[in-house]
Amino acid sequence: MRLSRLSGSIVAACLLFAAIAAATLAQSAGKATPNELGTPGGTLTIALRSEPKTLNPAFAADQSSQDVIYCMNADLIHINRESQRTEPDLAESWTVSRDGKIYTLHLRRGVRFSDGQPFTADDVIFSFRVYLDAKIDSPQRDLLIIGGKPISVEKIDAYTVRFILPQRYAAAERLFDGFPILPRHLLQNAYAESSFSKAWAVSASPSQFAGLGPFRLAEYVPGQRIVLERNPYYWKRDAAGKQLPYLDKLVFLFVPSEDAQVIRFLSGDTDVLDRFSSENYSVLKARESAKRFHMDDLGASLEYNFLFFNLNDLAGKNLPQIAAKQAWFADVRFRQAVSSAIDRAAIVRLVYQGRASALAAQVTPGNKLWLDPAIKPASHSVQHARDLLKAAGFSWRADGSLVDRGGGPVEFSILTSSSNAQRAKIATLIQSDLSALGMNVHVVTLDFSAMADRLLNSFDYEAAIMGLADGDADPNTEMNIWPSSGGMHIWHLNEQRAVTPWEAELDRLMNQQLVTLDYPKRRQLYDRVQQIVANQLPIICLASPDVLVAAKDRVGNFSPAILEPYVLWNVDRLYVR
Amino acid sequence: MKFLARRLLYSLAILLAISFLSFLMLQWAPGDYFEAMRMNPRVSAQTVEVLRAQYGANRTFAARYVTWMGSLARGDLGVSFAYGTPVGPLLWPRARNTLLLTGSSMILSWLMAVPLGIWSAARKGALLDRFFSFATSTVLAVPDLLLFLLLLLLAVRTGWFPAGGMVSSNFDDLSFWQKAGDVAIHFALPALGLAVVALPLLLRHVRAAMIEVLNAPFIRAARGHGIPPWRLLWRYALPAASNPLISLLGLSIATMLSASLIVEVILSWPGLGPLMIQAILARDVNVVIGVVMLSSVFLLAGNLIADVLLFASDPRIRVE
Repeated sequence: MRLSRLSGSIVAACLLFAAIAAATLAQSAGKATPNELGTPGGTLTIALRSEPKTLNPAFAADQSSQDVIYCMNADLIHINRESQRTEPDLAESWTVSRDGKIYTLHLRRGVRFSDGQPFTADDVIFSFRVYLDAKIDSPQRDLLIIGGKPISVEKIDAYTVRFILPQRYAAAERLFDGFPILPRHLLQNAYAESSFSKAWAVSASPSQFAGLGPFRLAEYVPGQRIVLERNPYYWKRDAAGKQLPYLDKLVFLFVPSEDAQVIRFLSGDTDVLDRFSSENYSVLKARESAKRFHMDDLGASLEYNFLFFNLNDLAGKNLPQIAAKQAWFADVRFRQAVSSAIDRAAIVRLVYQGRASALAAQVTPGNKLWLDPAIKPASHSVQHARDLLKAAGFSWRADGSLVDRGGGPVEFSILTSSSNAQRAKIATLIQSDLSALGMNVHVVTLDFSAMADRLLNSFDYEAAIMGLADGDADPNTEMNIWPSSGGMHIWHLNEQRAVTPWEAELDRLMNQQLVTLDYPKRRQLYDRVQQIVANQLPIICLASPDVLVAAKDRVGNFSPAILEPYVLWNVDRLYVR
Repeated sequence: MKFLARRLLYSLAILLAISFLSFLMLQWAPGDYFEAMRMNPRVSAQTVEVLRAQYGANRTFAARYVTWMGSLARGDLGVSFAYGTPVGPLLWPRARNTLLLTGSSMILSWLMAVPLGIWSAARKGALLDRFFSFATSTVLAVPDLLLFLLLLLLAVRTGWFPAGGMVSSNFDDLSFWQKAGDVAIHFALPALGLAVVALPLLLRHVRAAMIEVLNAPFIRAARGHGIPPWRLLWRYALPAASNPLISLLGLSIATMLSASLIVEVILSWPGLGPLMIQAILARDVNVVIGVVMLSSVFLLAGNLIADVLLFASDPRIRVE
């Protein structure tokens, strides 16, 4: 008995040892751990799809500008792109008042801007004065307006600041990510002279810039590249106490198309690559070992592609044909039938070569904190779709075409942007899926601006496919979409008040989650939002493409994440082997 | 002098008409820069309206055109919505790159077209002439886009040329001669591509003009006087055939400029092409008009130079 217990213990110990060894081996054989000690020096080159339009954080609205600004600046509280949770950055710690409205942030001491000037509370106060200034009208200003009122900022002492929120705000900590701290000593004159909007243009001299990020501007060559050099005053150190960043230089080349970026990567001009399609993933995969790089499929991004119908109020728009079809679109059974007839698995397989996830609602599998796994994508069933249509009063002619109650044929067009090849393919697949129901669907592609004009102004469309990509995993970023008053309540803009009970519930849930600080409670509320979206289908969610990245084998600490900037979020720890 | 002044005035009138028409067409194009901005869920409709007002995009067509004319007089060509800076400084460095590429390609194509055209004309109907005829027909039939993509394929497959850009990413670390070599190797493929696009038309015109002159009685008389064929071609026939070729010089600039926009995008040459494409897609109106105006200025300047050369070379025009 004792022997058997002893042998059992030995076996258990051996199994445990084997498991640890296997795990260790798997780790060493797989990708490098993100925080390995790097070697200082070297240059990393990456391509940007377009030139940054500005290096002024208060005005950056395009991805390229934001990517470069990210490497040159720092914020008070940062969202860790890997864990998707907040962590201290320039604010070493913070406390929250019992009512959840006052955040007191304690700033890190001894931090210097990239020009050697010290960072203090005055810089924080100045930065938020700029971001909140209605005359500056920074695109981020809206994030600082909570419940219609702006937040306010007070200096307590040189290293303590207090943020007073007009109401409880669930995503308050996440708010600080995306508000880089500006150097008061360099920008206060421009601000006082009302020339702040002209400050920090891309073409400004490098000596005019200073940031708290790992890199600072070294050179800008119009149309060609931006070169950043290491910030000698950067405060972060690695585990061995060595100052970060490891890289001496970071070069952004301007390469205007995805295919050209792939070619430049293959020809060795760039070291890392992101934002490319699954077609290019296959092309690159075939040459992975020969060209000494490795690729990663990080799984679903936060982007959700969806189909929606025009439910806008068309009074005064002189669009009688579309208005007549809105009777179909407004019927939830029609939308459910369309959703059921769409073969999402085929979209994932044919459009994304399997590198995407089918969606039930707006939250993608990439969003670990907020996905409700209980909601499954509608199963593809033409029969179920037919039953729904029959119940809604539709019928079929002898030739198989679908007609409505009044005998009118069910025919509509789907609008999509010509700049996104994947969405155009999705539209064609949906056209084919819906023809199985007897619907006559046309696909119309327009360039993005023309499409935006129809969706936002003229309402001259019947259905459309588009995609939205949240910058953050938090539901806070969706406040402009789900409440009926939201500016991007795209299927029914300018809705004065909720017209259906489920829309009223959406309004209530979204407003309630915004002020609920307890995560489990807030999650319950947002789960319900997802359920309503999946059942009522104001938008019919289709698929979320995976985040695909590639890096040369010589790039150390490469640890891409599904939050932007995918490959540069830990740029201070990247190094060249 | 009067001739030159008349031509200048004529060019200015054309530029004015081009600017007006460009404005009008962009006005008619659906959507604008700010609509696309509204598609970002993080930006509120109010913010977009404020920006629209700030840039004056909500004013009437006439008001915006008059403001733009004022900015033209100041030389800044209005403000780019996307960059938030005057358009002029955005254009100048890129225009320099475009001019470097198109100018060099044009010289290269003429340097190839004139001797080959003369050679082909002198051996009319011979195997070589027929080969040139076949080759030029083939190149003419191939779309520019395909040709540039083939060049890109050549660069990627062989590794002999860089796959794009104007300089390598380590350009700053190179010595002067290495820098010159780096620019030259980056420059080779787009310049060759543009020269090949322009060559067939030039070669055919040179050949046709030379054949016509070579059949002229004065050449036959010169030949009868025993003037050697080489001297006959270069000293007597070429100057006589130069009139249509000088006119062609102006026209070839248009071909070069339109082809350069494509080659710049495909081979990532940092000229006006990529800026123009992005500005069109984003409806950054002032940048689009700036590029159109600058291209028109290049075109008109080329034609003006051709006119002046014609004026200098042809006494009949001087008499008129």
